[in-house]
Amino acid sequence: MQLKSQGTTPLISVSDLSWGIADKTILKSINLQLNAGQFIGLLGPNGAGKSSLLRCLYRYLKPQQGAVFLAGDNIWQISADEFAKNVAVVLQESPSQFNLSVFDVVSLGLTPHKTLFSATNADDKKRIYQAIEQVGLSHHTQQSFDSLSGGEKQRALIARSIVQQPKLLIMDEPTSHLDVKYQIQIMELAKSLDVTVLASFHDLNLAASVCDELLVIDEGQLITQGTPKEVLTEQLLSDVFGVCARVSAHPQSTSFDEFVPHITYYYGYNRQEHQDD
Amino acid sequence: MTDRVRFSLCVCVALVSCFLALSFGAASTSMSDVLHSLISQGSDEFIQRIILQLRMPRMILAFLAGAGLALAGLILQTVTRNPLADPYLFGISSGASFGVVCFISLTGVSFGFSMSIAAFLGSLLSMFLLIGIAGRRHVGQVEAMLLAGVALSFLFSALTSLLLYFSDPQAITAILFWTMGSFSRAEWGTLWIPLTVIIACMTLMIAFRRQLNAMLLGDESAATLGIHAQRFRILMLLLSSLITAVLVAMCGGVGFVGLMIPHIVRYFTSQGSSHNLLMTSLVGGTFMVWVDVLCRTLLTNQELPVGVITAAIGSVFFLSLLYFRKQRR
Repeated sequence: MQLKSQGTTPLISVSDLSWGIADKTILKSINLQLNAGQFIGLLGPNGAGKSSLLRCLYRYLKPQQGAVFLAGDNIWQISADEFAKNVAVVLQESPSQFNLSVFDVVSLGLTPHKTLFSATNADDKKRIYQAIEQVGLSHHTQQSFDSLSGGEKQRALIARSIVQQPKLLIMDEPTSHLDVKYQIQIMELAKSLDVTVLASFHDLNLAASVCDELLVIDEGQLITQGTPKEVLTEQLLSDVFGVCARVSAHPQSTSFDEFVPHITYYYGYNRQEHQDD
Repeated sequence: MTDRVRFSLCVCVALVSCFLALSFGAASTSMSDVLHSLISQGSDEFIQRIILQLRMPRMILAFLAGAGLALAGLILQTVTRNPLADPYLFGISSGASFGVVCFISLTGVSFGFSMSIAAFLGSLLSMFLLIGIAGRRHVGQVEAMLLAGVALSFLFSALTSLLLYFSDPQAITAILFWTMGSFSRAEWGTLWIPLTVIIACMTLMIAFRRQLNAMLLGDESAATLGIHAQRFRILMLLLSSLITAVLVAMCGGVGFVGLMIPHIVRYFTSQGSSHNLLMTSLVGGTFMVWVDVLCRTLLTNQELPVGVITAAIGSVFFLSLLYFRKQRR
């Protein structure tokens, strides 16, 4: 049973979720709750099931067991449109050979809100232009989406999700192939939006600095959930990620009690172990 | 140039083209003859008959064929995200040829409206086979659809060749002429069929224009916008097959328009803009009207097959567009 002590339903609640392909189980009875208003990071090594978990959460994969609840409603019992009004998703960039302008891509965010024949009215257009301005692409509005750089494409997709007006924004490794500057830029942009964000990360230090809360999964199981300081310990880095590292306070941290963990990796320890043998 | 200006330009060019096309043909007629016939005042009755009963339905059929095939191509390229997709890639036209050959070899009749029905049934057979095979897939549906389409197309071609091998030379000539396409069978009485189908499909496409655009960014992305991607793709495949089947049944095989026109329009306007759909159909229609004029006038007292001209003009024009586009970037 969920704890409803504060009288609030969690935005997302996952109970006993399992999913797999053929006879291989990818996600093993996951239970978790995400509260509104937070920036939540999902961490885990390659193949841990991060993408599968996110796909179950954004209603692309149907769980074989258990269920996902959005503000108390089972997501498979509400319509796809209704769900899309509440949850927007930014995926890794999808190549397209066709000439869609940035404006067109951003205006796709209206799709779940519009009935079949309804036109894009002046209000909608204003929202689209505002979203484009918010992500800093105003001078690219009529340019072809394909001609943008990787970081600009991700920003255009974020603008699309702004137009979608969701309660929750899910991002599946939105920065994995971008330069450091753009990784920080995209994440800070997402944080500046007034929505709950759930994003998967590769870069643990980036996750530590932008997230309020972290989830760690490994081999399809939820390992831990908590603030970056609670989660990113030297023990966990060794157990889950298989690296030897030292965790210290990031130089920008304001106080020791609420420090942002900063990970320094050690190299060459595998070789050393062999020499010890 | 804004999209609205481009669109208005397309409308004007289409209207002027249709008007001019009426004045070309075997019998020499002037613009004023056309004008007088249209407002039915003070013109020769013979000339008026030529223009209203022969050229006009033919011109309209040509326009509808161009518009319909361009739309069908646009739909298929969008939902399969494949720039090479066109109505003929999915075996619909070879299904139609198969239907016609079956009909001719079974009945010995090689003319008339019943041949169109045979072609239509052949296309439907191929379409249902394709949807039956690819429609059940949920992962990799696009790939299944493209491969099944190509395989079906080869299968029907093989069956057609086999039947032709055992047919008499007269049937072979009839088939050959039919597969190259012609608008000569146009008449007022049957024009409502392609007109209804194309208007219905266009209405649906305008209703689903956001969904169509969303498909361009991938199935998963479309699903996150509340679209049932697989179901939607089957619906769109059904629409484009229906347009193609009707047009192939009425005008025979007119290739290359469905592939080429959407790409040409894409060079000038974003596919997402609301004018793109209408512009694609207008450009397709206008192109076909002029192709038909060439068919009727290039050789005196003889008609060239439409398919030959579309492929010849189309490919040269398309290649030069590709060439100059590469230079510009």
